[in-house]
Amino acid sequence: MEDIDAMFSDLLGEMNLLTQLQSLGQEAAPAADPPTSTKEVNFSIGFSDLNSLNELEDKDLDDLMSDLMADLNATEEKLAAELQSLEAPPPPDLPPPPKGLIAPAAAAPTSPASPASVCTPSSTATSPLPAPPPQSVKPSKEDLEAQLKAEKIKLALEKLKEAKVKKLVVKVLMNDGSSKTLMVDERQTVREVLDNLFEKTHCDCNVDWSLRETNHELQLRTFEDHENLVEPLSAWTRDSENKVLFLERGEKYEVFKNPQENFCGTSTIVPDLESVLHLREDGKKSWKQRLFQLRASGIYYVPKGKTKSSRDLVCFVQFDNINVYYGNDFKTKYKAPTDFCFVLKQHPQIQKESQYIKYLCCDDAWTMNLWVTGIRIAKLYENFKTAEKKAVVSSAWTNRSTPSSSNPSTPSPTVKLPPPPPMNSLPHPPPPPASFGGVDHSLPPPPPDPEFLPPPPPDPQVTGGGGPPPPPPPPPPPPPASAPAPRGALRPTGSAKKMPPAPPKRTTPVMGGGGGGGGGGGGDFMSELMKAMQKKRSDQ
Amino acid sequence: MAAWDLSVIVEDLGADAPPITISVTSDLHIGGVILKLVEKMQIKRDWSDHALWWEQKQRWLLRTAWTLEKCEVHADARLIFMPQHKPLKLGLPNGLTLKLRACFSNPVFQTVMGICRLLNIRRPEELSLLRPVEEKKKKKDKDLSEDIYDLTEVPLSSVSRPCLYNGMPAHFADSDKLEAVYKMLSVTQPLPAPEVIAKQYRPASVVDKAHINGRWLDSSRCLMQQGIKENDRIWLRFKFFSFYDIDPKYDVVRVTQLYEQARWAVLLEDIDCTEEEMMLFGALQYHISKVSQSEPQMLCSSAALDDLETALQSLEVKMEGESSSASELLVRMMATSLSSTKCVYFFRPKRLTLKGYKQYWFKFQDTSISYFKSKEESIGEPIQQINLKGCEVAPDVNVAAQKFLIKLLIPAPEGMNEVYLRCENEQQYAQWMAACRLASKGKSLADSTFQSEIDSIRSFLAMQKTNGSQGHADASDESINPHSLVSPRYHKKYKPKQLTPRILDAYQNVAQLSLTDALMRFLQIWQALPDFGLSYVVVRFKGSRKDEVLGIAPNRLIRIDLAVGDVIKTWRYNNMKQWNVNWDIKQVAIEFEGNVNIAFSCLTADCKIVHEFIGGYIFMSTRSREKSEVLNEELFHKLTGGHEAL
Repeated sequence: MEDIDAMFSDLLGEMNLLTQLQSLGQEAAPAADPPTSTKEVNFSIGFSDLNSLNELEDKDLDDLMSDLMADLNATEEKLAAELQSLEAPPPPDLPPPPKGLIAPAAAAPTSPASPASVCTPSSTATSPLPAPPPQSVKPSKEDLEAQLKAEKIKLALEKLKEAKVKKLVVKVLMNDGSSKTLMVDERQTVREVLDNLFEKTHCDCNVDWSLRETNHELQLRTFEDHENLVEPLSAWTRDSENKVLFLERGEKYEVFKNPQENFCGTSTIVPDLESVLHLREDGKKSWKQRLFQLRASGIYYVPKGKTKSSRDLVCFVQFDNINVYYGNDFKTKYKAPTDFCFVLKQHPQIQKESQYIKYLCCDDAWTMNLWVTGIRIAKLYENFKTAEKKAVVSSAWTNRSTPSSSNPSTPSPTVKLPPPPPMNSLPHPPPPPASFGGVDHSLPPPPPDPEFLPPPPPDPQVTGGGGPPPPPPPPPPPPPASAPAPRGALRPTGSAKKMPPAPPKRTTPVMGGGGGGGGGGGGDFMSELMKAMQKKRSDQ
Repeated sequence: MAAWDLSVIVEDLGADAPPITISVTSDLHIGGVILKLVEKMQIKRDWSDHALWWEQKQRWLLRTAWTLEKCEVHADARLIFMPQHKPLKLGLPNGLTLKLRACFSNPVFQTVMGICRLLNIRRPEELSLLRPVEEKKKKKDKDLSEDIYDLTEVPLSSVSRPCLYNGMPAHFADSDKLEAVYKMLSVTQPLPAPEVIAKQYRPASVVDKAHINGRWLDSSRCLMQQGIKENDRIWLRFKFFSFYDIDPKYDVVRVTQLYEQARWAVLLEDIDCTEEEMMLFGALQYHISKVSQSEPQMLCSSAALDDLETALQSLEVKMEGESSSASELLVRMMATSLSSTKCVYFFRPKRLTLKGYKQYWFKFQDTSISYFKSKEESIGEPIQQINLKGCEVAPDVNVAAQKFLIKLLIPAPEGMNEVYLRCENEQQYAQWMAACRLASKGKSLADSTFQSEIDSIRSFLAMQKTNGSQGHADASDESINPHSLVSPRYHKKYKPKQLTPRILDAYQNVAQLSLTDALMRFLQIWQALPDFGLSYVVVRFKGSRKDEVLGIAPNRLIRIDLAVGDVIKTWRYNNMKQWNVNWDIKQVAIEFEGNVNIAFSCLTADCKIVHEFIGGYIFMSTRSREKSEVLNEELFHKLTGGHEAL
């Protein structure tokens, strides 16, 4: 019984927290006026009028309710099981509880709690309010407690109503100059917002559609699909002239369109990248040249008078909290040597020029695209690790997956030989838009094994590590040959001549350096990336 | 057919025993010879593992159906009758030595398969044997203690398919001694003392690194043919850095030994990394050693049991979580700050003042801190509330001076605001530090990791406390010297107490990992290093007058300038059309697409070794397409065998 009480006071505490959080949020952004009506500000954020949001609120409330109910149910069942063991046989005169209702503790001689059901919202969850305990039953100690509990539930629900999920009204600029205003709640990912926009705009829904952020006009970046939109937007200052744009960006998923070719090659997870870039010195107008290196652990540069040896490298930035933006017109604004600039901004909160924003300038558009893409991969890799960590932590709570079963490493260093069939001859089906997770899968480290029971057999086809890339995007069909190609190709003769497996055939000659600018011109960007890097090396 | 006398030395009778002479005819097959021999000896025992070794020709007579004539054995042949499996001292990646019975008659590739089956390591094709680097012979006593791990007793027949018993392959379950061997194989070794690291041989250059690759045994020939004798020392190492299908559940020994090999590669600078990476490796080693000491059974791989246990554990966590959710922890937090009288806070905005520390009453709520003039006013409006989400948290601690500062960098539109919290004592510091860390990641005190975060901070404080005095006193984790976690270069660069905060910094990102995850993370970061997977050989390219280095990677070959270390050229295997070896002039010639032809002779390793590396990596790359678990030995042999494969 004490457990129940404790639980309730905890629950109430949580409600309090939620309400506090909400009031705090409102303090921070008290934009109660309809944002679209303000004249000169072309983008507004803030909490919208609560009344106009009834629909959403209800839905949210429902969600919260179902969570709450599930928890309550679990506790009920636990309690019931306890009771059962205490006073067996259970009181026979009590009617079984109606299925759709929360049964008071005393009247619930149900099956003992099964761990699997703990997190599943049961059917009871949909009922808006729990039924009051049946009064007809003779009041026992349990009944009184149940009544008390019902009271508390009521209280909890009232508190719940006050709790709000943070939402923003976002005005998104279309490429034709018009705009769409939509409501984004803090749990929505960019992908979901995009899907929303697809519905509103009736565009062709291809994967290249992106949301872009302009940060005081001079920097641009594409939001990654897995990002939450509300969080970075909340960091904008109120007088900000930042904008959100909805447009097609070919480079968005360029690297993933042929992941097998792009990633299987190297043992390194993050592409090896090394070039001389111009760095804008903090607070000065001058730009300084340095040799930069991209590694999985961050961006480094070679200090003056030192060699390129790893141990001498100086860490320039690591990837947590970093976002990469394309610079726009930096030649005029910051006297950059060229217009091919990108910006590393350390915290989403930081909006103004400061030492936490790094300005880098490349000699050409190609180099810039290599770097921006490379950094995105490195960041996605970082994200992957974080997500995985979260999965491990949360699994401890939900017991849905075993922490030990997660399989973080095993980037596939395996060389696909013979490699997939010609890569440029056919555009590969893009990753299904609805799941960025799918794209994550195509990154070298396999995702944590979502299975709980039974454990996967030691079959390489099932456990993903280093194996063939998972479905999205589908790898090209394997060569139809039933026998492994190398066997056929080998000639075990006296000549000691050996043929390695059939080499890849490039049907389309790759163009050098042509795809600059937005990089939207199709082609196999990543293998170009690799090629360029090799070339760079061999030229040195 | 004329009979003639054949004398055979029987090894088991001792070195001084005279050879046994039997009368044979040239059409007698080898099986018949053995039968006659055993009959003549009249010793009743199991001779099934024995076979004939022809000493002059350095080969085994294993085809029992072949006649003496076909084998070209004549009366002058010096044949030795001996067991095919003999004891070997196997140096493991973790540095320990294990005595076991290995096959001396099959190609080394199969010998390694047998060893791996015995040790329960999957994917044996990734490993091979190499001759050890000679050690200075001074520590005789240590050699003796190394031999306590002994698997020679395990009957070979029992090692077929690893069936698990108590999370362990059944052949380890027969005795406590064998169980101890399995534990040694499957649990990571304690951190080495800094002196041990410093004393080990470290390659100083690419050329040094190249020399080790001259030591690999030939996979196509047997141990006897390569001069390996009974009880010789030989190393088992991962050779092909292409680790297929790692599954921590089934790869307990494999992952552990891989980690050990990777750890030593990092500590001995066999692979280069940046300082930041070294600190992260250090943090992971620290974490792994700590966790494996506290939960040594964690890695035991009885899959079903594991799952059940985890399920139960998380159920417990769940229950706990239910009974102590946000508000209670909040109360607890408040209570603890109450008990340590007041929370001291010193605010130093942007270095305007040097000693402007002022005392305030502090409250931690959700992911924010608020401060008040006094405890009494803490019910009302705070002077300021700071949300720590997304902020940077850094320690500034000197235990000896009782300085416990928490440095907070809080992002704002214009930049980062610097704030210092000064705590009164270790206890308070650990709690507030843990809370700040969680808050910076957007987690509240109600998060399940709060307590473990506190614990890890305290254990690091303890580390700082002890390592003021040099030395690695006892093995308890309270006295870990941070020099045990990094390569000797950093022993010189940083004092232990300078190193501790740097490792701690990296540690906060890994402190929550389970043992398996931490091991996998270590391997992952290792594999992400630019130089990962490169095996070096000094070569002379055709037409070039100077020695150069060839780097052999899982997917490419690179040509490296020996003097400067720069990469000159890269060739990928998937552009390779063919390669061949001219065994007479010991030259490897490779043709790539686009009429690119290269040829080189190998200087620090036999060209068979280079041939095996290239063929081996091509073999490794075919594995993903293999449907079955069965290792395609034939293909490996074809790709790597050279002469033997003809």
